Amino acid sequence: MAQLRQDHEHYQSRDAIVVAIGPDSKSDFQRYWEKNKLPFTGLPDEKHSVLKLYGQEVKLFKMGRQPAQMLIDKKGDLRFVHYGHSMSDIPGNEEIIALLDKLEAE
Amino acid sequence: MPRVDLNTAAPDFELPDFNGNLFRLSDYQGKKHVLLVLNRGFA
Repeated sequence: MAQLRQDHEHYQSRDAIVVAIGPDSKSDFQRYWEKNKLPFTGLPDEKHSVLKLYGQEVKLFKMGRQPAQMLIDKKGDLRFVHYGHSMSDIPGNEEIIALLDKLEAE
Repeated sequence: MPRVDLNTAAPDFELPDFNGNLFRLSDYQGKKHVLLVLNRGFA
């Protein structure tokens, strides 16, 4: 999330918005956003409705749940889909920013 | 658990953000690219 904050302006300049969704409560989101001064949208999804819709693996234990990233282009199509297998398995923002450059050039 | 596939239409959804403003994915169609980050939780 800290990386996302740092790179937020790169997304903005490429006509992209960042939306983070998680299973935490509204107040947890509020606290986390204030503490970390995050400039993008945060959506609490306590019922896991979107998390399930997008197929994030929700295992029995919270520790089994891994982060995922998707890029949806202006047409509404998925152009990048990454499901993490471990906490360290998070794609570099460079990869996503390079893809945005490509999309903007289309 | 179904997963979404590349180069297919992203399933639309709507959720209120933590300030209570409704976010609807399809509102950004034709306007913005959207980077969706699914978190595992802060705690």
